[in-house]
Amino acid sequence: MRSDHRHYTEVEKGAPVQSLVTERVADRADEADAPAQARSHRGFPRLRGVMQSPVTPLKDDFSLDLPTFEKLLDFHVRTGATAISWPHHKAESLNLTIPERKLFAEAAVKVVARRVPVTIHVSALAVEDTMALARHAQQIGADGILAITPYFWSPTREAIYDYFVRLATSIDLPVVSYNSPSYLAGVEITGELMSRLIERLPNFIGVKEASFNSEKFIEIARAALPLRPDFALVTGVEYLLPSVPLGGVGSYSAAGSICPNLCEQTFDACVKGEWVRARELQYKLSKLWLLFRDQYPSSLKGGMVIMGRPVGPTRPPLPTATKERRDHIEKQLQDLGVLDSEPYGW
Amino acid sequence: MVTAMTEFQPGLVHTPITPFTPAHDIDFDAFAKLLEFHIANGADSLALPMHAAESVSLTDEEKRKLLGFALKHVAGRVPLMAHASDSGTAIAASFARYAEEAGAAAVVSTAPYYWTPPPAMVLEHFAQIGSAVSIPFYVYSAPEDMAGAKVTTELTLALLKRLDNFRGVVDASHDWQFMIDVLTDAPRARPGFQLISGTEYMVSAAAIGSGSLFSPLAGIAPKLVRQLYDLCADQKLFEARNVQEELAALRQLIKRSGVAGLRAAMNAMGRACGGPRPPLESLESRAADLLNAQLRGLQGLSAEPRGW
Repeated sequence: MRSDHRHYTEVEKGAPVQSLVTERVADRADEADAPAQARSHRGFPRLRGVMQSPVTPLKDDFSLDLPTFEKLLDFHVRTGATAISWPHHKAESLNLTIPERKLFAEAAVKVVARRVPVTIHVSALAVEDTMALARHAQQIGADGILAITPYFWSPTREAIYDYFVRLATSIDLPVVSYNSPSYLAGVEITGELMSRLIERLPNFIGVKEASFNSEKFIEIARAALPLRPDFALVTGVEYLLPSVPLGGVGSYSAAGSICPNLCEQTFDACVKGEWVRARELQYKLSKLWLLFRDQYPSSLKGGMVIMGRPVGPTRPPLPTATKERRDHIEKQLQDLGVLDSEPYGW
Repeated sequence: MVTAMTEFQPGLVHTPITPFTPAHDIDFDAFAKLLEFHIANGADSLALPMHAAESVSLTDEEKRKLLGFALKHVAGRVPLMAHASDSGTAIAASFARYAEEAGAAAVVSTAPYYWTPPPAMVLEHFAQIGSAVSIPFYVYSAPEDMAGAKVTTELTLALLKRLDNFRGVVDASHDWQFMIDVLTDAPRARPGFQLISGTEYMVSAAAIGSGSLFSPLAGIAPKLVRQLYDLCADQKLFEARNVQEELAALRQLIKRSGVAGLRAAMNAMGRACGGPRPPLESLESRAADLLNAQLRGLQGLSAEPRGW
């Protein structure tokens, strides 16, 4: 009995890409009893393609807007997201309370309803909150969790190792780590640390890699793939062109709520090795990333207003996009042809 | 002149080290052999003396002598790019002028050493060096060597407005966003603008649009480097991944001990160029033995030439 069938694409080392059908091979009942090793290889569809991490819709009073969140999740699934992951930093994760995060995590699992995998980002300032969010993700039936290296402190490599071991062994879910050295004062998962974690943790299945640097990406690939060939190297935003030829399998999307078509076309061109087309699309995506990275994620929320998908303000201390900022974004979207080629409204 | 400048494509650029005698003088006999080795083993161009060649440890007079010797010895068989970097703008500009007069095909410069001037003065530094010559001028972005200082897209665009002969950036930042930004904007300001991969991490750079490569490892593994370059130039990027990873493994091995490691590896390949100049130290014999053993363990090196 299979709960779900989906088409994924895969990039094999040294060979252009072939399409294949990856199936969720175990149904939920089987998975519940399966050891972590089996689940990470059998029960969890490989992460592939452009995965969406929705923003967090807020009402004008900054409270959570659940109906809009449900519409947004549905929008992402309908427009080609190969997986959903929430709440990344663009979803203002650190500005949400732990009960709020649990509430929306539950909504995400319920609304997506197994159409694509759902992973929950559990990173919080306090490690104990992270542990609680991970347990909660398992309780609500999420397909996996994502966790960054600890915030604020500059933990030693051993402390980072211990942190991930404690987190990953506390649950029976696949774990994706999140590497973002430029935002965390150089704290990172090096290739050597990656190897040790893979050897120790059968449920460690991938990394959200946000160094956006050839040397760091290659070191992680060299460390991870010989030990776990299906380990998923996912770039933090849509840097598909530089990562796919190195073994990258996709991205967690920054721009997917604005331009899902462009995201999908870029991934398609990359996995087919159509580099001239891929370059043109990637340049455009990167222009958009520069636009949204400025005052992230409020610029993204501002852009969503223009695309007919308003999701409300951004919680302080992050700014909310002003009318002037939105006008600037609209002009840029117009110049890049996004307004004519991407879906408007929900 | 403008036509020639437009046509200059560095291609695969080997960056030879500077051989030293036991007394730490430049060993010109070994240097001649090394230049021959690079030309015979796949260099489209040469660039010297780069940081791996300990440019910073050479006096201005030595650099001039080294460059003059190389130009005479190479005798036009491949183009030679001169590295003109210094703390003082006028000193670097003077060296650039010398390089052009001596016959160099191009000049490449980093941001000034030690100082951390405001962006407008970094621009001025590059503009003065570049305007001292009429041959193609390149800016070298090497944040790992330069305490994190990066060349930005803004600087690049501003420099394009100042200099007719500014042809491109040699990028050793490995930073995807910078590479994409600069190749999105700079060729609009100047068609033919070049992004040169500053190290052997070329696959991503080639995907983004780089067509040339500076290779410090070419003295160790010229065949692998050539293979990587040719696959990237043919846009066979999936096929390039294996050789990319082999060169990454080599680079990581050597990187741990820096210039001393590079020299020890040259020695292990049968191309002894002496130890580094002070303040750098040679690898201790135990560390050199370990590096030798590790190099022997790299399968990718098995087909590489030994000796001169």
